[in-house]
Amino acid sequence: MKRKFDHSAPAQRELTGPKYWRSLDELADTPGFREHLAREFPEGASEMNGVDRRQFMRLMAASFALGGLGLAGCRRPEKHILPYGKSVEYTIPGLPLYFATAMPLRKAAIPLVAETHQGRPTKVEGNPSYQPHGGASSLLAQASVLDLYDPERATSHTKGGMNINVADVNALLAKVSSTYAGNGEGLAFLADESSSPTRARLVGRLKAKFPRAIWAEYEPVQDEPPVAAAQAAFGRNVKPVYRFGAAKRIVSLDADFLHAEAGSLYYAREFANGRRVAKASDSMNRLYVAESNFTLTGSMADHRLRVASSHVLALAAALAGKVLGTGAFATVAAGLDFPNKDKWIEECAKDLAEHRGESLVVAGAHQPMQVHVMAYAINAFLGNIGKTIDFVAFEPSSASTITALATAIKGNSIKTLVVVNGNPAYNAPADLDFAKLIGSVPEVIRFGYYADETTAAAGDKVTHLAATHYLESWGDARTVDGTIVPIQPMIMPLFNGLSEAELLARVAGEQNPDAYAQVFLTIGQITSGDGKKAFEKFLHDGQLAGSAYPTVSVTLASQKWDFANIPGFTALSKDNLEIRFATDHKMDDGRFANNGWLQECPDPMTKIAWDNAILISPRLAQELGIVPHGNLLQVARKEEAEYTMGKENARIFEVSLNGRTVRGPVHIQPGLANYTVVLPLGYGRTVTGHIGTGSGFNAYAVRASDGQAFATGAKLVATNDHQLLANTQEHWSMEGRDIVREANLDEFARNPAYVDGIGMESHSPPVLGKDKDKDPAFIASTTPRGNSLYENPNLDGIHQWGMSIDLNTCIGCNACIIACQAENNIPIVGREQVKRGREMQWIRLDRYYSDGGADAEAFGAEGNKVLPEDPQVVMQPMTCQHCELAPCETVCPVNATVHDEEGINTMAYNRCIGTRYCANNCPYKVRRFNFFDFNKRATDALYMGPLGHQKDVPELVKMVKNPDVTVRMRGVMEKCTYCVQRIQQAKIAQKRKAGASGDVEVPDGTIKTACQQVCPVDAIVFGNIKNPDSAVSKLKAQERDYAVLGYLNVRPRTTYLGKLRNPNPHMPDYSALPLSRVEYNKKNGHTEHGVAPAHGEEHGHEAAKPAAEHGGHN
Amino acid sequence: MSKIFPKSANALPLQILIFLGVLGGVAAAGITYYATPAYLRVGYAPIQPVPFEHSLHAGQLGIDCRYCHVGVEKSATSSIPAAQTCMNCHRTIKAQSPLLEVVRQSEQTGDPVPWIKIHNNPDYVYFNHSVHVNRGVSCVECHGKVNQMKVVQQDKPHSMSWCLDCHRNPAPRIRDPQDVFNLDSQTLAEQGRIEDAKKYIHDWKVLPPTSCSGCHR
Repeated sequence: MKRKFDHSAPAQRELTGPKYWRSLDELADTPGFREHLAREFPEGASEMNGVDRRQFMRLMAASFALGGLGLAGCRRPEKHILPYGKSVEYTIPGLPLYFATAMPLRKAAIPLVAETHQGRPTKVEGNPSYQPHGGASSLLAQASVLDLYDPERATSHTKGGMNINVADVNALLAKVSSTYAGNGEGLAFLADESSSPTRARLVGRLKAKFPRAIWAEYEPVQDEPPVAAAQAAFGRNVKPVYRFGAAKRIVSLDADFLHAEAGSLYYAREFANGRRVAKASDSMNRLYVAESNFTLTGSMADHRLRVASSHVLALAAALAGKVLGTGAFATVAAGLDFPNKDKWIEECAKDLAEHRGESLVVAGAHQPMQVHVMAYAINAFLGNIGKTIDFVAFEPSSASTITALATAIKGNSIKTLVVVNGNPAYNAPADLDFAKLIGSVPEVIRFGYYADETTAAAGDKVTHLAATHYLESWGDARTVDGTIVPIQPMIMPLFNGLSEAELLARVAGEQNPDAYAQVFLTIGQITSGDGKKAFEKFLHDGQLAGSAYPTVSVTLASQKWDFANIPGFTALSKDNLEIRFATDHKMDDGRFANNGWLQECPDPMTKIAWDNAILISPRLAQELGIVPHGNLLQVARKEEAEYTMGKENARIFEVSLNGRTVRGPVHIQPGLANYTVVLPLGYGRTVTGHIGTGSGFNAYAVRASDGQAFATGAKLVATNDHQLLANTQEHWSMEGRDIVREANLDEFARNPAYVDGIGMESHSPPVLGKDKDKDPAFIASTTPRGNSLYENPNLDGIHQWGMSIDLNTCIGCNACIIACQAENNIPIVGREQVKRGREMQWIRLDRYYSDGGADAEAFGAEGNKVLPEDPQVVMQPMTCQHCELAPCETVCPVNATVHDEEGINTMAYNRCIGTRYCANNCPYKVRRFNFFDFNKRATDALYMGPLGHQKDVPELVKMVKNPDVTVRMRGVMEKCTYCVQRIQQAKIAQKRKAGASGDVEVPDGTIKTACQQVCPVDAIVFGNIKNPDSAVSKLKAQERDYAVLGYLNVRPRTTYLGKLRNPNPHMPDYSALPLSRVEYNKKNGHTEHGVAPAHGEEHGHEAAKPAAEHGGHN
Repeated sequence: MSKIFPKSANALPLQILIFLGVLGGVAAAGITYYATPAYLRVGYAPIQPVPFEHSLHAGQLGIDCRYCHVGVEKSATSSIPAAQTCMNCHRTIKAQSPLLEVVRQSEQTGDPVPWIKIHNNPDYVYFNHSVHVNRGVSCVECHGKVNQMKVVQQDKPHSMSWCLDCHRNPAPRIRDPQDVFNLDSQTLAEQGRIEDAKKYIHDWKVLPPTSCSGCHR
């Protein structure tokens, strides 16, 4: 686990390239080396070194030596078994325990089940008893475990830089409580948003005790629709809960409901349910997306309109006017313009009108309330309310705002400021200059997980209280639909941290400030009857049954539209750009900045890891004169930046907005609205651990209160500097190949086996000869596998494992990557190694663009020279395919990778000698090599030879490891194992159950691979293909099933289900074929097919050209 | 020449030959014994922090293995008992024995008794006790007659080839499931019921894994 990361200027040694040392001392004397040494054990980390076992062994070494171990001791080191002193309830060493808990995030929470090994949480999964999520979770939830063991978290309470103990903290809080008792004048709180009922109750107590104190809440990003919109539309405090599963036509107005909106897990799941097809007659929803950024939701769109965020209001008005048939919105819609505007809006409105009660219009949470009102109006008019959209009553927060607090601080009326979580000095609106303000408050008590920018800005006198992780604290939270879920600690606070509930209870002067007691009290007030029993059931189930917000019936208030405060329509141009401040896919608002798993996970669209970039459209790039040169070799597309070996050499630009500027590397992102500049938030942290510090640039620096989601009037100015970005997918066109096979729904209806008509297989004799139509189990066990000199093992196990990935529902959310990383002890390698293409994640999420233009002529054909402005996107999770005829196995000189009898391509790490022949021979490029001892070295010590070795990796860092998976060392190849540890455990459990009987076949559904379990859309299904009734067998029997690179006859066990699109034939941007197919036909410009029996009559030849002009608009 | 070599040098070639022969013999014997999978510490019997006698507890007193090794039927590890388990009896029996001081301390403070691991498989081997003992493989097959050992020692080599010997041909090693924890019992084969053993293996689908993924993850 590499935790330490150096982002300072490279040492002289690094700049001058490799150099040989005459002696180690020479090296040791360089200041750079001393620095490295100092960094090796960051603050706090050393406290965890050598506890228990190690120290013990050192002390006992002498007595062992005297113990007469003799020669026997030479062969292997002495090891100990350390049993418990007192047995622990329910704990059997070697068996994990599972507890329900939840990860809170803003005003929502993800219900979880945490896996603990002897009291050590190592992995979280979604709680399957919470129906809306169906056991899924997100990449943030998966990665949150790593934060628990972050050696750079705040590890002690400090005051003025000196450590203080728990008793001092309690005394301090009691003092605050007593000093301000009475009216609370001069006391202020600034907290993050929370859904916790206990917190709501305690805030009520605080307000009662300190009536004149300020309780302000601030979140840098907004992920729930504004309550003001519901107030304006319905006259009451309600919020929408969308039912995507029931919606046949969906319009998203700048809403990234698959990722950025609160409740996105539930929404993604339901959306996928409406999109999943099994047979030709199945229907599928249709998604219209109008957006400025290129989000995951946009990547799933059947019709995508690139429109600036500030123009979405006009678009909403135009659409509402069309649907409702009224001219009332004409003034708001005025000015909106994009190619084929009238037809686009008319056909979209018509499609909605034809699906009354089963359509849905969703507005992005960051959009102004008028957009939401219009969306509500359309939904009400179409009769969608109660069908595809429910409104639930809830109590909105009555907290004050950060702006009001800032005013109070400026007026010197705040004497004590308690900052609860959040990081306002980093992410508050720039015009407040909060970092300076907080320094002017006489007493600041900062409660936070990290000693971050806010702690630093509060000055030397600040009291920092170390917060507990959610996995070490008692608490509660509500999911987006209001269901109350418990937050249970899995482990005692590692560093004597304080939980939020206890902090507030102490300040409020509660009798029993213990967090457990507080939560118990809250739940007791909600439930009736036996409080203890109800509470235990609450903890056991992981949710409080029936606690969801009640659905209420709403009626649209009279058509009294408040358009008074609507800003006028501003046309955008190169000199008047719009900035969209986007919640980052991985860093969120910056709170996960020190999480190595997330930093190294590539962004799903840009594929950049470790940094953010200023995203601009190809049109703007052209106008700014930065048409890149690109390496055209083997790339049927001019690249969007200059690349050398995975390093994107990005130009540094300066963004200025209202006199504030920020510098950052520019990445040209196809699919953006022409004059929208996207700045992902959450990077450019200055005070956090080694991982987060110096990653990217801080977009908050230009973000003011009046434009927190988007703002216009920005400019981009070039500088002469360049920056290398770690981009994991420089190549982004399929070049007309058949890697992802797509069709439109109508083609699928006519020709369900369309995938067979695409690709090399359709031109050659069937790969499997006469067995081509047999089921996978028959093929695996019976069909001969050639006459290779390499001896293939018999696949005669009672299980034959296989996987099916549905490309039609995959939304590309990256959760599988992080779940796999957490389950399989995959290390991070750091920015420099990612630039060299040495990332270790076993799953790669390939993202391909297509605009129908890529040409067969790879070298300089006309269609390859233009950057696509409006591409279609396909996402494809790619990992070891477990080929039955695995090319990697035949080339391994030491038989380190061989098949087992159940069809798994296994890796015996202890045999591997690291020739890397297997990776060379893998057609899918899914093998990963440990170029360094990533688990024993900091990312900045990789090149230090033996000196870089950490003999004592901090215990804390090791604690996150899954004990059921080998931690690999340098020089070893690794790759997806189908989570072989889970398979073996399930098989063993089944055999244990079987005892003296033959019932040893693992029932279908028992084994879920980590990626399958986390997947919010159930796109990944794993199981026994020998059982024809298993879920995976049924999926593989579908006609959309195909093998990537199937013509190689490697017989992959992982196969894919083809992607479908459902475009509206009347829309101006309609294309009769998906654009990747247009490119495919262009490349293969053929007339005759091979023997593929079921190829569609539509296939290929007269592919309709896509509409010449896509909706593109400033 | 006699000025250079003394007369005794005449015996030197023979001496060298004998020396090399002895050296080679010792080396060959050493390598055969120590460096092949057959050895792997068989006979290793370290001195434990508490002089616990299996021959007394499991042998004379007849305490079932599972009384102390509670995890053996459910978990990968058989688990070494908590000090509390020892004290269940030793609170009253030999309550003051100085030999048990470490155990008493452990129960009181929670600090573990530092037992020395005897059967030490490499970290990349994921052996699972439960699947063996539930399917007719007795403790004695890997651990020997622990009930007769005063000081526990490694009885079998625990090498990969030794594992595979049984995984490839389990029939001679299978016991009746009710004999698994009876260390003095005989395998079905020893009882002359090899056909029964083969039938069990077929009917129970014993199918011990012989490929890498069975033990290495």
